[in-house]
Amino acid sequence: MKTELNSMKWHILVIIIVCILIIPVVFAVSNSFKTLADAFSNMFNIIPANPTLENYIHVFEKLPFLQITLNTFFIATIVTGFKIITSLLAAYAFVYFNFRGKNLLYFVLISTMFIPFTVIMIPNYLTISCMGFRDNLWGVILPQLSDALGIFLLRQSMRTIPRSLIEAAYLENASDFKIMKDIIIPLVKPALISTGIIFFINSWNEYVWPVLVLKSKENYTLSLALQMFISAEGGTEFTIAMAVSVMTMLIPLVLYIVFQKHIINTFAMSGIKG
Amino acid sequence: MKDIIFDHVLKAYGKNVVVKGLNLNICEGERLVLLGPSGCGKTTTLRMIAGLENITDGQLYMGGRIVNDIPSGKRNVSMVFQNYALFPHMTVEDNISYGLKVQKVDPREIEERSNAAISMLDLNGLEKRKPKELSGGQRQRVALARALVKRSDYFLLDEPLSNLDAQLRVHSRKELVKIHEMYHQTFVYVTHDQVEAMTMGHRIALMYDGILQTIDTPSNVYNRPANVYAARFIGAPSTNIIEANLNEGKLIMAGQHIVPPEVWIKKMKENGGDMFYFGIRPEHTKITTDYMDNALKGIVRYTEDYGNKVGVYFDINGKELISVCDNNVPATGERVYFVPDYSRIHLFDYKTENSIGYPEDLSKHNYGVVYELRGRLAGDRKFKAE
Repeated sequence: MKTELNSMKWHILVIIIVCILIIPVVFAVSNSFKTLADAFSNMFNIIPANPTLENYIHVFEKLPFLQITLNTFFIATIVTGFKIITSLLAAYAFVYFNFRGKNLLYFVLISTMFIPFTVIMIPNYLTISCMGFRDNLWGVILPQLSDALGIFLLRQSMRTIPRSLIEAAYLENASDFKIMKDIIIPLVKPALISTGIIFFINSWNEYVWPVLVLKSKENYTLSLALQMFISAEGGTEFTIAMAVSVMTMLIPLVLYIVFQKHIINTFAMSGIKG
Repeated sequence: MKDIIFDHVLKAYGKNVVVKGLNLNICEGERLVLLGPSGCGKTTTLRMIAGLENITDGQLYMGGRIVNDIPSGKRNVSMVFQNYALFPHMTVEDNISYGLKVQKVDPREIEERSNAAISMLDLNGLEKRKPKELSGGQRQRVALARALVKRSDYFLLDEPLSNLDAQLRVHSRKELVKIHEMYHQTFVYVTHDQVEAMTMGHRIALMYDGILQTIDTPSNVYNRPANVYAARFIGAPSTNIIEANLNEGKLIMAGQHIVPPEVWIKKMKENGGDMFYFGIRPEHTKITTDYMDNALKGIVRYTEDYGNKVGVYFDINGKELISVCDNNVPATGERVYFVPDYSRIHLFDYKTENSIGYPEDLSKHNYGVVYELRGRLAGDRKFKAE
């Protein structure tokens, strides 16, 4: 009885938190289906008085919206793919290889996580310009092919794998590549997926770096498109901005729903028992 | 020849030397047990054979060639790990056949060998299960099956029974011996359990502090321990070791003296010196509450019941000794007379702690010669506790 009451208290708290978190999303969705006039008069009505798709139609007319979505998707996919591959390889080396200066190298690598983006923004911009990648999707991608966070997370996950598993595979004359493929990847899969999702969403939402590199509309990403409707030059067409927001949200949301089980697993899992 | 030879092998982690100049010869097809307390370097020794640890110095030969720089996968060894090291994401079947698949063995051969191992180790019906769905004993058998399908020349086992309950351990011990009798691989078994060592090994290599203390047959390790450490480590309760001073044909121990048989005095004189360690196993002693000549006198401190026997701890001038007896157990606080079986005593050099050897014929020097009951009769005993 007491535990029931106790868990009820927690449930109420969690429900309140969820409501607070979900309000902006509901707000965005409902306003994206309102006319501008309707939105101004009944901003906090969840159900639009005269539902309309005109905001969405407007976005598609005014912008190469499909292209923009594809750009964002392209950047996010390539960046995520590379970050995962480089993190896996580096984490494997840090866990299973012994080499001189390993700990120092790891320390240096991890400390890069604490360097603010604004510090490396200008050097990166100059490098990209010199390479001729200004206003090019590859200009956005190139400086982001590896990530200390990924190395850190995957290394932590690999360290929970008992060393004897790897040794058992060594005894079978398995190569490091084979060990990675047959043993490490299946065992760190939940961590791999959640790290991948983090990378994908970060890249999807990225604003400052693309805004520096990308200039022409056909190269824009979704966050840049969004900014067009809420900046000074975009005016106050915030119902259109809401429509873009909703569309920006869609892909990460679908991804999350698909991989939900793995993401929750990663946080729930304390280790792999041998 | 599928033998293993350690030639002055040294293993150090930084400044910490864990195996100190090991010389060890493991014969083809032999069951050798590496025995010792934890941290003695026995597992490191096994892992050096497997190629999982680098050799700091010295040479390791396997099958006649130096293997110091040959990677694990090319040494043709199979190993059973203490935690079994089963791949948690693979089924029993996949775990067993993984190594063969990596080595690109013909699929029909893989199936044949896996099936043979599965039925031999009684794993039928569990093929599709994951390791976490198995009991400890089943996991251990999967680990064994995985090592067996490889049909390698060297079979290494790192405390494979330590995670099993006592009954299963006894059963698995027999199974392991049976498996070895079938394949006759060179079998190296690491354990800290002396019963496992005594029952399974053709020979026992006893290690302590990175040094090989003795290597011999189980019978010799028990009956003719090479040094004080071996005498103490093997046997439960542990061997009594007392400092003894040879003085005019008497052995003075803890302020009392006994007169050992002439053959032993001769042996001690051959060795030289007058200080020795006198060793006697509790099961090779007699204690009585009746007066005995040529015996050590002590006071019983406490007793331990083992079910079939009783261990009696008694005190001789501050030195604690133990004896086991099956009847006429003295009570705590009682005075006892203690006589060793002189055909089963061990004497060690005081400085080197090595055995001084044994006189040729000891059979007539048991209790009989010096066993003289005087005064009171056996039925006349009085317990102080009463």
